[in-house]
Parts: sequence; C-alpha cells; structure tokens
Amino acid sequence: MDKNKRKLDFCPGCLWTLPSAAMLLCLTIAPLVMLLLFSFMNRNMFAGQPWPGWTINNLTRMMAAPVFWRLLGKSLLIALLVTAICILLAYPAAWAIAKVVSPKRRSLLMMVVIMPFFISQLLLIYAMINLIQSGGLLMTMLSALGLETRSILYTNGATVLVLVYEFVPYMILCLYSSLEAISDNVIQASHILGANWFKTFTNIVFPMSVPGLLSGILLVFVPTAGTFMEPDLVGGSNGMMVGSMINTQYKDNLNMGYGAILSCVLLIVLCIIMAIVSYATKQAQKRIGGDI
Amino acid sequence: MSKGFNRVMLACLVLVLAFMYIPVVAIIGMSFNGTAYGMFPYVFTTRWYRVLFTTSNLPAACWLSLRFSLSVAVTALVLGTLTSFGLQYWSPKWAKRFNFLMQLPIIIPWLVTSVSILLLATFVGFGRSYLTMFLGNLMVVLPYVVLLVNGRFQEMDRTPEAAARLLGASPARVFFDVTLPGIAPGVMAGGIMALIVCFNNFVLQYYLAPVGVNTLPVTVFTRIKSGYQADLNALSAIIILITIALLVAISCMGYSAGSLFGMSSSLKDQKGE
Repeated sequence: MDKNKRKLDFCPGCLWTLPSAAMLLCLTIAPLVMLLLFSFMNRNMFAGQPWPGWTINNLTRMMAAPVFWRLLGKSLLIALLVTAICILLAYPAAWAIAKVVSPKRRSLLMMVVIMPFFISQLLLIYAMINLIQSGGLLMTMLSALGLETRSILYTNGATVLVLVYEFVPYMILCLYSSLEAISDNVIQASHILGANWFKTFTNIVFPMSVPGLLSGILLVFVPTAGTFMEPDLVGGSNGMMVGSMINTQYKDNLNMGYGAILSCVLLIVLCIIMAIVSYATKQAQKRIGGDI
Repeated sequence: MSKGFNRVMLACLVLVLAFMYIPVVAIIGMSFNGTAYGMFPYVFTTRWYRVLFTTSNLPAACWLSLRFSLSVAVTALVLGTLTSFGLQYWSPKWAKRFNFLMQLPIIIPWLVTSVSILLLATFVGFGRSYLTMFLGNLMVVLPYVVLLVNGRFQEMDRTPEAAARLLGASPARVFFDVTLPGIAPGVMAGGIMALIVCFNNFVLQYYLAPVGVNTLPVTVFTRIKSGYQADLNALSAIIILITIALLVAISCMGYSAGSLFGMSSSLKDQKGE
C-alpha cells in the first residue's frame, strides 16, 4: 500500500537529490557544452567581453595538423601496450591471491596490493624516477654486475614503465573480484572430466574472468590514454602524448579554442572505445549466465 | 589446477609485489642517504628530515592540501549521503539513469574535466579561484560517496525504518537513529575515498587553483620537474609510512580492501548492465 502510494504521488524524499543533480548539471554537463562552444569560438574569451563570433579555424587547423593525429595514435598505442602488460602481470597475481593463498591471508594481501592506490601518483612516479635514474639504485646495481647500459629514464619506455607501475593494482583488483567468484567445484569438475590445466583455463577460467578483465581494461586504458604528467615528467623530449599537447595549449600557448577541440576529439575517441568495451562486457556476462 | 601451475602463479605474485614495492622501499632508504641526487656511496643521515621541517616549503603545502581536501571530503560526504538517500525514492529506471550520469566525472579523463571546468569558470567570470578548485574537486569525489552509499542501501534491510515510522518517530529521527547507523560503513568508506582522491588529485588542482596557490600535488609536480629533491624523499617516506599505518588501522577496524573499493565492484556491475 505504502509502496503504491509512493509511486503515484510526488514524494518529498526525492528532493534530497536536488543539490547534486544541480551540481551535475552545472559542473559536468555545462562544462562539456562549454568545450564544444569554445571549440568554435573565434578567439579566447573571458567574462564580460563581447561575443567573439564563430569560426571553424580550429577544426581545419586540427584536421591539417599531422602532429595531433600522430600523438593521438601514439597515446592509444601506449595505452594499449600498458593495458596488455598490466593484464600479463595482474592475471597470475590475481589468480594466486584468489585461488592459491589461504583465505585468511587474502584480505591482507589485497590491502598490500591496493596500498599504492592511496599514495599520490606523483610520489609513485617520483619513486620510480629515483630508482631508474642514471646513478640511481638500479643503474648502480647493473653496473656492479658488469652490465653497462644507459638509463631508460626520459624515453617512451620510461613512460610505459611508470604507467604500468601506477595502474597494475587496478587490474589486479578487477581480476581478483571475478576470479574469486569462480567456484572451485567448477574447476574440479573440469579436471575430473579429464581436461588438462590449459583446457580448463581456456574453457572455464578465462571466459568467466572476462567481465573483470574488461572493467580492468576500462579502468587502465582510459586514464592512460588521456594522461599528461607521466610523459611530461619521465618521457623526455620525444615523450609527448596527446594529453601533453592539450596541456600545452593551456599552460604555454593560452590557445583555449584549439585546446578545447583537441579535448573534444580525445573524449569522443575514448567514448567510442568505452562503448565497445561495455558492449563486449554485456555480451560476456550474457554468455556466462547462459552456459553455467 | 595442478600444484606446479599454482606454484608458478605464486612466484608471479611475489614478482609483481616486488615490482610494486621496490621503488617505495628504495625511496624510504634514499631519504636517509647523505649523498645528493640519490647516488652512492650511501651515507646515513637524517639531514633531509631536518631540512624538511625547517626550510622546505613542503609542510606548508601539505597543510594547505590537508585542510582543503578535508573540507571537500566533508562536503562530499554530506551531499553524497543525502543524494543516495533521496535516490532511494526514485523509480529504479530513473535512479539507474541518474547513477550513470553520476559516474561521468569518474569516467571522463581528469584532464578533459579540468579543461572544461576551467573554460566554464572563465566564461562565468570566476576564473581560477578557490571556489572553482573547491567545486571542481567536489564534483570529482562526489560520485565515490554516492556509489559507496548506494551499495550500502542495496544491502540494507529497510524494514526497521518503516517500523520506526509506524511507531511514530519523526522523519529526522528515523534518518538519524535508524537509517544513518545502517549506512554508516558506506558513508565512512566514501568519506575516506573522497579524502584520498581529493588529496592526491593533481590535474584538477593544477588547472583550477588560483595562480600562486600551491597545493601539495602541484608543489610536488613542479619540484620533480626541477630535478632531484632530497627533502621530497623525506616527505615521501613520511607519507608512505602514514598511509601504511592508516591502512593497517582501517583493516583492524574490520574494513577489507573489497569494502573500501565497493565502488570498483558496483562500477563494474553497473557498467555490465
């Protein structure tokens, strides 16, 4: 009775949502509209100035700029590489925590794994710089072993290394949550029915971990593709990514319109990727639900 | 799976943990190293800690960041809890849509969020100011609170609230005496997440902080760009040790890693739908 009434009548309880609904409108939706608006604005605009008028200069300039498309491609490639390395590192680790370690130690180990999340990313980057810089701990040890190599700091390799270092906990977390949900009985059954470990993995474990894998991909790929501080700090002179290019438009050139249209394109590309990944997740979950 | 296979997996786990912790341990070690630029030979000293607490500008930035993120986290805590509470009155279809919108600030890369908020602030006339920085950071951390409290509401038994109402308690009394204790774990976890995310959020503060105001992440960024900083080692060591102590305390209080990250699983579920 109470429930029916609640559905039909206007309910004052709904009003508690208003402040954050207003915030969403003003601080998430409106800024995205601004991004579009500034993309097609003639020049920088500040409050109180007259309307500068429309232009498509930014659009044509972006289309004609090979640098932007190259950097966008490079960023996506780096993000892909980082995601792949994260999966390779995180899968065995998540498996070990979920299935090998005794249940008592699991929650402690997960705390250990997510600890870096709570430390500022900048401090993690700084710790890595310290380790791999020439004359640092790693290089000194390598040269003591007789391996004289140059430090990879200030190369694209360093960017990839630092990004993997920052994002591997997210991947472990996502994979762990779906690997843990796989019942031991299912794996046992597969063994008893004569499947070797490889077959069990490809037919049982992997398909069931796909939803966690995909949400991990989302959590790693999207922020990695849009980042600028890692390439800025450890990438050196050739390390620019698309995020650094956008950042330059605001910090050095003060070219708001051009920066806005670059951000728009980045956002659209990432949205397409996210849509594909979440569609794949949906399909994967349907398949698991259907088979088992 | 076979014993050998599991042993290999365990070895991989140890390697990954080593990869994650060697830099962290190394920086704690280097903070006691007297030789400049983190080089060798290793000479034990506590000089950098003295520098940190006397001449360095890091403690001031740290203090500013702490006050700022506390104010953001408390606001997000109150707003987020109310939002989630109000959301329970919505029809499920619309609540789902609202939750999707609420996730946008998490999904959109922070660089794009910062740029777009900066554009809006310039357009409206606020420019880079404390207010802009506050609102921007608030928007980014609010979803964490809402998602975590939503998760609690889903698990919680709502009948005691109805009973309290039937027995004549005022709406305020029902909320503070029955509802709030029920969702308290979610509220706590949301507040902690909000505090940490805001404290460490470099990009938004880099774009929105008033010119000349340097929060800790911004200060650390400029210091790293200008080269090796021994007092930064000392600060990193202190922050890392405080973080470990906090996590130990949190897990002693009965929170597991999963409950703190209720967000990641609920995020996954909602994306999967």
